[in-house]
Amino acid sequence: MIDRRNLLLSTAAVTTATWAGLGATTAQPIELLKIMVPAAPGGGWDQTARTIEQVLRATNAVAGVQITNVAGAGGTVGLPQFVNQWKGQGNALMVGGMVMVGAIIANKSAVKLDAVTPIALLTGEALALVVPASSPFKTAKDFADALKADPTKVPVAGGSAGGSDHILLGLIAKAAGVAPAKVSYVAFAGGGPATAALLGSQVAGGISGYGEFAEQIKAGKLRVLAISSDKRQDGIDAPTLKEQGIDVELFNWRGVFAPAGVTDDQRKAMISLMDKMAASPEWVDACNKRGWTRITRTGDAYKTYIAAEIVRLEAILKDLGIG
Amino acid sequence: MDTNIPAGATRRSGRGELAIAIGVIGLALVIYWQVQVMPASPLYSKVGPALVPTLAAIGLFGLGCALLNAAIRGGWQTDEEAAAAPDRAALAWVAAGLALNVLLIGVAGFTIASTLLFLCVARGFGSRRIVRDAGIGFTFAVIAYFGFAKTLGINIGAGFVENTVEGLLPFIRKG
Amino acid sequence: MDSLAGLTKGFAIALTPINLLWCLLGTTLGTAIGVLPGLGPALTIALLLPITFKVDPTAAFILFAGIYYGAMYGGSTTSILLNTPGESATIVTALEGNKMARKGRAGAALATAAIGSFVAGTIGTLGLTFLAPLVVDVALRFGPADYFALMVLAFVTVSAVLGSSAVRGLTALVIGIWLGMIGVDLQTGQARFTFGVPELLDGINVIIVAVGLFAVGETLYMASRASTGQDEVIPLKGSLWMTRDEWRRSWPAWLRGTAFGFPIGAMPAGGAEIPTFLSYYTEKKLSKYPEEFGHGAIEGVAGPEAANNASAAGVLVPMLTLGLPTSATAAIMLSAFQSYGINPGPLLFQTQPDLVWGLIASLFIGNVMLLVLNLPMIAIWVKMLMIPQPLLYAGILVFATIGTYGITQSIVDLLLLYAVGFAGYLMRRYDFPTAPVIIGMILGPLAEQNLRQAMTISAGDWSVFFTRPLSASLLALAALALVAPVLYELWSRSRSRVTTATKA
Repeated sequence: MIDRRNLLLSTAAVTTATWAGLGATTAQPIELLKIMVPAAPGGGWDQTARTIEQVLRATNAVAGVQITNVAGAGGTVGLPQFVNQWKGQGNALMVGGMVMVGAIIANKSAVKLDAVTPIALLTGEALALVVPASSPFKTAKDFADALKADPTKVPVAGGSAGGSDHILLGLIAKAAGVAPAKVSYVAFAGGGPATAALLGSQVAGGISGYGEFAEQIKAGKLRVLAISSDKRQDGIDAPTLKEQGIDVELFNWRGVFAPAGVTDDQRKAMISLMDKMAASPEWVDACNKRGWTRITRTGDAYKTYIAAEIVRLEAILKDLGIG
Repeated sequence: MDTNIPAGATRRSGRGELAIAIGVIGLALVIYWQVQVMPASPLYSKVGPALVPTLAAIGLFGLGCALLNAAIRGGWQTDEEAAAAPDRAALAWVAAGLALNVLLIGVAGFTIASTLLFLCVARGFGSRRIVRDAGIGFTFAVIAYFGFAKTLGINIGAGFVENTVEGLLPFIRKG
Repeated sequence: MDSLAGLTKGFAIALTPINLLWCLLGTTLGTAIGVLPGLGPALTIALLLPITFKVDPTAAFILFAGIYYGAMYGGSTTSILLNTPGESATIVTALEGNKMARKGRAGAALATAAIGSFVAGTIGTLGLTFLAPLVVDVALRFGPADYFALMVLAFVTVSAVLGSSAVRGLTALVIGIWLGMIGVDLQTGQARFTFGVPELLDGINVIIVAVGLFAVGETLYMASRASTGQDEVIPLKGSLWMTRDEWRRSWPAWLRGTAFGFPIGAMPAGGAEIPTFLSYYTEKKLSKYPEEFGHGAIEGVAGPEAANNASAAGVLVPMLTLGLPTSATAAIMLSAFQSYGINPGPLLFQTQPDLVWGLIASLFIGNVMLLVLNLPMIAIWVKMLMIPQPLLYAGILVFATIGTYGITQSIVDLLLLYAVGFAGYLMRRYDFPTAPVIIGMILGPLAEQNLRQAMTISAGDWSVFFTRPLSASLLALAALALVAPVLYELWSRSRSRVTTATKA
């Protein structure tokens, strides 16, 4: 019954795709790629999925892409569905990333990332530590010193508590020898309101993805003290935290996973599809437009990376009283 | 029209009001209990996540007591409202439609579940023209499904009907 | 006169046939999705983002802007006709609008909503054209403490919808505040009142509660009374259009609504709902016919409708001048900019003048289009009230289901909708007002978060609320709004005593 439904569904979708593209041949290993986005349309994961769709279609790597959004709780509503209902589907992917690792810990989710098959790490976004243009802080060290002197005097704006912005602040505090939970973190509902608070000098500093602040920095309204990447980034005129003696590195990374129970061949086919995509000029171009740093790591290298991230994030979130 | 109530019946039990008041007090207690079991966050903040909910629980408790007092004194419903006995059969039809919809929308798809909901609600409001209602409900659901779901690419729960129609579409286009 | 030159150029761009077509498509689509509860402009634009791969940026933004403005128009239609608000900013419209529709004045209610939206949208867009830098400067001065004071002021407006008993009205308000706090706490990341249900971690969508209370609750109540044949809906009484008297009562409300909507919409944490509350309250207080409120007062439709459209223009102020997305829709529009490689920021007006001015000009055009599209539709919409009750209510429930389940496909949301509907039935039967639940649900969490942000920033110093000039004046205004009616009552009572005494 289920199989017949799926068959009907995929025939229908493939027919529409053929109708549009007129180019689906049986030689393609994956005709219809199904992507689950465990978040609402419009966010970073959704954009990742839609960029994958655009690039794969432009390069004729697949005939059709079908995106399903299952929003909620940092991906922890979509993840169990992907694990249970998409099991064994060789043509399916789920977008996920650092935020999901954090949400699984924070929400004490029963289903964890080890239940899915890591395929490829695709992009990362460096976070930036910024201050209003009028701020006395000139370097990340000034900021860390002030934090050390009295953490309650340095309110820092960012996204929701326990998210990547808060995690970075916690890591900075820890590196500076301040208990992460003692830092005065002011959570805002998204980068827009947080930036507004910075522009109005309501807070002493702010943390978010570099892209969120880039234009304000260019216009001279905000000053970037540091970015969280391991080395300096092209097109970003800012030193890293590490350069300034704060041994912290954090990427808001995003990648894709296959469901549980796929065969080794299916896994390899998917990895090679992603490898090819990541190497295409179309992908490079799309990432540059959106300000995403390309980090391609597939298969086992990706698996190891995630395992290390989980350990690191569990520790810092525990310090922040979450999870 | 319910004519069973004698014209002179001014005595009211206020039983419904009593239940409502107790429900409000119960909710206040549940809120308070939930705040108590919330683990304390070590994060620096001068006003924590418990303050406002605690105030809400206390406020609701006080309001619940005021309602209880009013209920014991005979309730607050207007005579007209208290005298009108709800049409239980009609309510049951509508409730059944809602329950069926919840149970079937995932399994049978949006169109079938919506058609049944439509039928039950229409029946609850006294309509006996089952075939006409089913036809209207079905048409409405199919139009809604394809109008909104397809132009925007939202998947609002495809089932057998949606897949069949969709499977036929390419042939219709070609032919 | 830089803006004027820019605007002229913008009109040249927006008035090309192809761009007019995009504008028409956007406004039509926007009206359609505005009608559907749960499906808002943010989601629609997000779903249409792939279009940015195919068309040029100006066309895409004209389309998106049309959707944005159109959704505000569409949302009011179902609020008025079916008591089913399509957007959270049109919830207040349902309060008086649906009562008017039941009295046979649906045409007038729809007309005042459409014309009010046009007036407010046009004034708001003018504000966006000429005052944007000034407005944004003031808006940025608002910090969490000032927002908290604004929320306190907005809470006063609940007094306009308490109904016949303060105890029952306040009970509804507190329940709403509690509903708003369900989910993960923004400031600490802790789950509150989620009872282990992961779907509740992101909180409950206010539209689900509004549709549940208003539409589902109403349907259950009407079903319970179906056999007694009460509560007849009169499709049309008198003229289809607004009477001279209705015009006279509408236009000051439009202007006042605009005055609330535009600046609050421009504030980074202002939103579209708060101005509708403030407008409703003001209209009730200023009206010569306060007794009509709750039974279909036209000012109660005109003001809030103007407020929500003006706020839509206001939201574009920080978005276009600073590149700051302050609403979900603005955030999605910004990500559309990015897929063109355009980075919206403080320099957008300089780097992309054609795009920005074309967009602003298309807002003016879109407003005219919406008016032209919507006014003739009124005659058709009103016919909807002639649908026999069984089919109408069955249709409303199917409609509410599409909106709720369609977007998230979450059974939890559907169960919530129906459970809230049952609660709404009980509230109706036991004379609890439902509007305070919505006000509490929207304002409660905002007030709480801003209070806590303010206290974290001030390191626990409560005096910030009184030492910051904005916050202090807003709190004073709130106190005045609470105390003034009481004082006025005392004063007029003593005066009438004096006059009767002198007469005697």
